[in-house]
Amino acid sequence: MSETAPEFLIDARGTSRALGAWVVGLAFGRDGTLGLGLGDGSVRIARPQAMAEDWTNAAAHDGAVLSLAADPVGGFLTGGDDGRMVQTAPDGTVTEIARLGAMKWVEHVAAHDSGLRAAAVGKQLHLFDARGAALKVLAHPTAVGGIAFDAKGKRVACSHYNGASLWFVASKEDKPRVLEWKGSHASIAISPDGTHVVTAMQENALHGWRLADGQHMRMSGYPSKTRSLSFTSRGRWLATSGADAVVIWPFFGGGPMGKAPTELAGGDGVLVSAVACHPQHEVVAAGFADGLVLIAEIASGKVVPVAAPGNGAVSAIAWNATGTHLAFGTETGFAGLVDLSRR
Amino acid sequence: MSDTPQVPVTVLTGYLGAGKTTLLNRILSENHGRKFAVVINEFGELGVDNDLVVDADEEVFEMNNGCICCTVRGDLIRIIGGLMKRPGRFDGIIVETTGLADPAPVAQTFFADEDVKRATRLDAIVTLVDAKNLPARLADSKEATEQIAFADIILVNKMDLVTEAEALEVERRIRTINPYAEIRRSTKSAVPIDAVIGRDAFNLARILEREPEFLSGEDDHEHDSDILSVSFEVSKPIDPEKFNAWITQLLANKGQDLLRTKGILYYANETRRFAFQAVHMIADGDFIGEVKDGDPRKSKIVFIGRGLNRPQLRRGFESCQVEG
Repeated sequence: MSETAPEFLIDARGTSRALGAWVVGLAFGRDGTLGLGLGDGSVRIARPQAMAEDWTNAAAHDGAVLSLAADPVGGFLTGGDDGRMVQTAPDGTVTEIARLGAMKWVEHVAAHDSGLRAAAVGKQLHLFDARGAALKVLAHPTAVGGIAFDAKGKRVACSHYNGASLWFVASKEDKPRVLEWKGSHASIAISPDGTHVVTAMQENALHGWRLADGQHMRMSGYPSKTRSLSFTSRGRWLATSGADAVVIWPFFGGGPMGKAPTELAGGDGVLVSAVACHPQHEVVAAGFADGLVLIAEIASGKVVPVAAPGNGAVSAIAWNATGTHLAFGTETGFAGLVDLSRR
Repeated sequence: MSDTPQVPVTVLTGYLGAGKTTLLNRILSENHGRKFAVVINEFGELGVDNDLVVDADEEVFEMNNGCICCTVRGDLIRIIGGLMKRPGRFDGIIVETTGLADPAPVAQTFFADEDVKRATRLDAIVTLVDAKNLPARLADSKEATEQIAFADIILVNKMDLVTEAEALEVERRIRTINPYAEIRRSTKSAVPIDAVIGRDAFNLARILEREPEFLSGEDDHEHDSDILSVSFEVSKPIDPEKFNAWITQLLANKGQDLLRTKGILYYANETRRFAFQAVHMIADGDFIGEVKDGDPRKSKIVFIGRGLNRPQLRRGFESCQVEG
């Protein structure tokens, strides 16, 4: 055999589509279907079991989809710049859950398996139950930059200016624990064991709080803003975008305080734009600004290429619940779905 | 990370009642075939007639770089991020600020945020003033003065309500604050769209292209606000290291009082001109093309700011010249 070009998993084990609009968010739903929310307001649905089939195209919003999450009752939950939160069922049926204001944007949505649904509009976080009934509205000092539920769905955290607010969802008295740190905080994540909250800041750095004692954690050194945060399944590592390698912070053995992060799959000078940790293994999938997608094993640093560069900056990436499938989408509307199950 | 051209952004400022919404609707209704996104901060009595109008919150926050003047509009960062996700780009974005807004955070957003910088460029800051009421506003409002100091284009509106003598006096007052802006008179905000859109006023290659309109032919020493402008010119080539050291120090120490700074510099041993601009302490600079034959090669710097120390600034700039 002579020299061969690098092999990308998507060529042998996947499928791709040119969808024509920015892939804002994607997730696998309860029944295993893949939903993608696009900048043209549509939600596209793919079935991993029938990759060759056409993807369903549902007109969910008049404008752009701004955020997408898997809906606990099935299908996908999206927020749009038309001020609506809607649910798109796996068959493409669109149901409006709430209209949250004319000329207002539903910038973030999140959901928890227990049936909770959340939508952020400006400073307010609207919570709904599985039937679509409004539960409560939680007000923040400034606009919400990101939403995260803890693993049990008991608490919800919102980032904003000068910190984050952590709320008990079922509390009678809606008084948040305010985690303070000066500056603008956007993306937010809660560690799987519920002990840490981490935000991505305007200043190319992360900020974290250890909830037990309020200890601050500052993780800096990024050449650009971090947009994507993902904890490994047991919370030992936090994978992040924003550098020219996948930067992974250790959340064990006293870390991340005083510990250097691990860097994976670096060296090409291209920034990582989206990350997602495998639902079971200490493996992270990463997309880059040039469109490259790869999977890296944290322990060994071993890298497996998934998709070639050239189709736009990767804007969204996610695993299905069992970790057998990986999907990604780009700013220019390219989307890929790869089957990684044993054959 | 797309390679699409940056979308131009026009910032519309002006005191309440100066005619901003009327101007906005004129821009939008004129039959030009261009597609705009409009960002407003409050619903006035007049609606805005456009397909895409976004209601912003005017949320200002400080950058964590130790400088309290480095404030940016977080809501604009989010809105521009959202707009860029829509397919089919806009021909322009128009940001209308509230009457009481300080224009600095809006302008600084376009220099301080990497995503905003990649997707958009600041086209011009357009300030509307009410010809009749400007003297009263200048007397009672710091913001009215700042809006004039920041402007690239100033529309003296409601001309039907003043005499020629009053109009000249209003223009004189404006000149003492900002002699570099283009002044245009209007009634009911009626100006051609090209007078306010597509001006490219923040293009480094075009800064200081306009000669200042000092009414008396020299810097005006009589001024009725603490904001004024000063400019200096030197003939010897500039030493880039000395200039960088001086301007960095100056913006760090006095950035809060320096609203806008612009300069065209002729470096020693360099065949190209260097252009420089700053909004408070956020600076931007680059080479802007070859020096032409017959160019007098005089380096020039202009400051618009509060409580400027003219002799000190002059000495500072002069000391940036090469020795000998």
